[in-house]
Amino acid sequence: MISCDALSTEISKPCTGILTDVLRFSLHDGPGIRTTAFFKGCPLHCAWCHNPETQFPVVEIEFREDKCQKCGDCLRANAVEPKPGEYFDRERCPDIHRAVEACPSGALRIVGRSWTVDEVMAEALKDSAYYAASGGGITLSGGEPLAQFDFASALLAAARRHGIHTCVETCGHVPSDLLLAVLPDVDLLLYDWKFTDPERHRAETGVPNDLIRENLELAVQRTAVVLRCPLIPGVNDSDDHLQGIVALAKSLPKLKAIEVMPYHSAGAGKYERYGRRSPLPGVNAPSEQQVSGWMRKLAQAPCDVSVQRI
Amino acid sequence: MQTLNEIDVAKAGIRAREGGANPFRRELEFTAVYRKHLTSEPPQRELACLRAMFPASFEPMQEQDVFAGRVSYPLVGFSPEPGGLGYYCREPEILQIMQESQLSPEERREVLEMLDFWRERTTAKKIRAAYPPEVSRVLPTDDWTRESGMAFPLYRMAGTVLDYAKLLAQGLGGLRAQVQERIADANGSGHDFLSATLGTLDLVAESARHYAEQARTLAQSASSEHWKRELKITADVLLRVSTEAPETLREAIQLMWSYALLSGTWNYGRMDVYLGPFLARDLESGRLDKSTALRLLQAFWRRMTDYDNQYNNRVIIGGVGRANEAEADAFALLALEATRLVHANQPQLSLRFHQRQNPALYEKALEVLSEGRTFPLLYNDDVNVPSVMKAFQVSREEAEQYVPFGCGEYVLEHRSVGSPNGLLNMAKCLEVTLHGGRDVVSGRQVGPEQKIDDLATFDDFWAAYCGQVERQVAALAWQERIEYDVTSQGAPFLLLSLLHDDCLARGKPIFGGGVRYLGGTLETYGNTNVADSLTAIHELVYTKKKYTLAQIAQACAANFVSHDRLRQELLDAPKYGNDIAVADEMAIRVHEHVCRVTREQARKVGLHSYLVVIINNWVNALFGITTGATPDGRHAGETLANANNPQPGMDRNGATAFLNSIAKLDAGLHAGAVQNMKFSKSLFNNHRPILNTLLHVYFQNGGAQAMLTVVDRGDLEAAMREPEKWGHLMVRVGGFSARFIDLPKESQLDLLRRTLY
Repeated sequence: MISCDALSTEISKPCTGILTDVLRFSLHDGPGIRTTAFFKGCPLHCAWCHNPETQFPVVEIEFREDKCQKCGDCLRANAVEPKPGEYFDRERCPDIHRAVEACPSGALRIVGRSWTVDEVMAEALKDSAYYAASGGGITLSGGEPLAQFDFASALLAAARRHGIHTCVETCGHVPSDLLLAVLPDVDLLLYDWKFTDPERHRAETGVPNDLIRENLELAVQRTAVVLRCPLIPGVNDSDDHLQGIVALAKSLPKLKAIEVMPYHSAGAGKYERYGRRSPLPGVNAPSEQQVSGWMRKLAQAPCDVSVQRI
Repeated sequence: MQTLNEIDVAKAGIRAREGGANPFRRELEFTAVYRKHLTSEPPQRELACLRAMFPASFEPMQEQDVFAGRVSYPLVGFSPEPGGLGYYCREPEILQIMQESQLSPEERREVLEMLDFWRERTTAKKIRAAYPPEVSRVLPTDDWTRESGMAFPLYRMAGTVLDYAKLLAQGLGGLRAQVQERIADANGSGHDFLSATLGTLDLVAESARHYAEQARTLAQSASSEHWKRELKITADVLLRVSTEAPETLREAIQLMWSYALLSGTWNYGRMDVYLGPFLARDLESGRLDKSTALRLLQAFWRRMTDYDNQYNNRVIIGGVGRANEAEADAFALLALEATRLVHANQPQLSLRFHQRQNPALYEKALEVLSEGRTFPLLYNDDVNVPSVMKAFQVSREEAEQYVPFGCGEYVLEHRSVGSPNGLLNMAKCLEVTLHGGRDVVSGRQVGPEQKIDDLATFDDFWAAYCGQVERQVAALAWQERIEYDVTSQGAPFLLLSLLHDDCLARGKPIFGGGVRYLGGTLETYGNTNVADSLTAIHELVYTKKKYTLAQIAQACAANFVSHDRLRQELLDAPKYGNDIAVADEMAIRVHEHVCRVTREQARKVGLHSYLVVIINNWVNALFGITTGATPDGRHAGETLANANNPQPGMDRNGATAFLNSIAKLDAGLHAGAVQNMKFSKSLFNNHRPILNTLLHVYFQNGGAQAMLTVVDRGDLEAAMREPEKWGHLMVRVGGFSARFIDLPKESQLDLLRRTLY
């Protein structure tokens, strides 16, 4: 494996990755005050995903209809004279970047850009005093950080050099050798576990869960792992899955904790902004009773179980 | 900002409508006394006028008043600030009340004649008349609430903080003896001043006796045994302090309150230092238990709240340089508890703290804040003391005695004066620069004509902007000097002088060579809007060359109508408050410039210091109304940023970025700045370690000050919908706190727009 640093000296091109955002004062992606880098691109496509903008590793254009003034300048920039009432239309704006340039209201926005490791670190280091005082650090999230392995590992190594606590949120669907390669630089792994049943896993996320399961076993031997379980009413909150989580935790005595992530619908409206359709229309956030029902069943697990709300 | 409580005006209106004797009787009598003493020496005239005002302007005591003393200023009178500056006459209010009342032709003639008399004789009028032409040219109007302009004068002697420790140690009798000793030493020099000072001390004593009598009368018809007993104690306390030095906490509070009311000062300095020993003695001797002491403080807090001045009423606790620190700490903790229990927007309790201080004070402060009180306001001495040394050019020992007053300006307790008597609208200065010397709102040419096409580089533009600012600041500094001189020629302000170093020793009045450090301050507004505008201009005009300066000017003049794309790009430019180097460095440049040119004026006009204060009240909103669209993307009429906070809603990079940004502005260049922060209840109550970290690192990074509002967005919205249910909701507006529902809608929306962390 060629490291990113080695690459950068060889061809003198800095190692870059594509991110949607670097979010400071992040309180929900690991302990303390953190800076979270959201990687763009994920090998899974979960129906309940609330960050649809992080699914594909390419620059995308977000269109906010609520901000649109319906002026048609985007169409004009693509040599289309809009008829009254006509406004942004992806099909009719082949040069979408021109459309963005022309938009007077901020309704069109470029999402995702290339970042160098140094750029991310420069942003993250601005808050190092807050990390030290709160037990926080940097988190790689997404999307799937390890899908941009070179960039992710270079970033983790850089954070390590600065003595900053590191956390990675992963779906676990990555080649095992790559996961093993970054683990020495990872202080905490937030590891998703979505379906116990392999067939359901494949059907709802697009990939099977055997590799994810194997990687989890490798990871718990090497670093601190918290299992993160998104629970979506009617999709994966079956007794089988809840019992499966408990069984999994029992089989992994080194597992630190389980965090339950109750479904919320905040992401549902975001799909349209990218010209896609929400794959889970009509699912509501669980009630408090539903969540406490889940928690009762998960209480059998041998580690700490908590609810994490984002 | 307001000088006479609106309540007082309303009361005068009621008197007028009630009919009977001439409702302006007090004003007419005051005027008669003044006329009689027209040619007397200023100290004797002041004494006579004070006698005409007091005790007549004291309102009757009420049964529940544990501490006696309520004042209602007449519409013609004498004061350093509460009624108006020096000898004041509130002509517009009088005329309005006259319209609504049934005065006889004779009464009407009398009042009109009185107004005629005062027209050129009020202190404020005399100050304006004394401006040299170059000052009046820059400051053509005093009407800062309505007219568009870059700079305005304010007429007041604000922010005096008396030596209460001396008052309480000496008592009125002891002070009297000191003055008499000075008279004997002085061999006749300053005799007028000193003998009139004796007279004012007698007046303080007489006022105490006046209330003692009321208390006794009230006791006879008291509604319960409890109040009967209380009123008798109050009467005894008043009689005692009219001659003796106080011995108990209750006597000490009563004496300081009586003196403060008469002197017209309304910021109370380091109360834990001067009341702490009384509390300790009372507790030790068993005269008081803790809960009774707490009830006394609550009663005192309510008295201050009734004396409604939400912009002042500062009480300082904690900090370095306190005598009897343990006793002061005990008082401070009690004061914090009183603030927790009394749900009011006053007093403005302010906690100074430092690393080696008893941590219980800071912890208690956060507890009180978490309940939504907006108090205490937090002052970081580890930053502020060195900053005050630098800004005021004084020793550490003296800097340790800094106290915030009003909306957040600093003075050295009973050693310095720094009345904020100038307003600078920096955003207007930028607007005028961008439009070639023209004020787009008034349409007047107010600066040197400048073709903006000639501003070929950013440095050219910067220099043109600096020129506008510097002309204003130079004029404001002169006006401050003139204001002190004219005010002091008219009156010595005897009660203020007596309790300020070194007036008695020098035999000179406070504003006329008496106070040890006579300084001035200048309130600046729109600092952030200027910085963000300059960042956008730098990027779009001079770096990317996407637009010309003329195009930006045109779009601003059009309030961005048909310039949406341009405005969007202005908005997209980096903004102060996000920890982005390019934006914050511009804010630092703007800050350092205005602070530097201001402090340079001190030497020129002969003040000990002349410093910027970056505080806030309503002025940012009012100046916003008279300021056209600015190149930070702000529309015409929208509010300007609050003190040196980011423009509302423009800080979008998280709380750490916000705090890092605001800590970058050097606190050692000015005489006080306020930082408002809005935190959600969830962060404050569910993530307390995170909040502690935020504040800890902010203060470690050089953060000087923090004013915290703990609130939920939903609460603010609900309070706008159903105000009747949200009377308890307190918010920090800028340099003052208010009940959210009492704010005008524009301010409510401004608060909603501010980022909630």
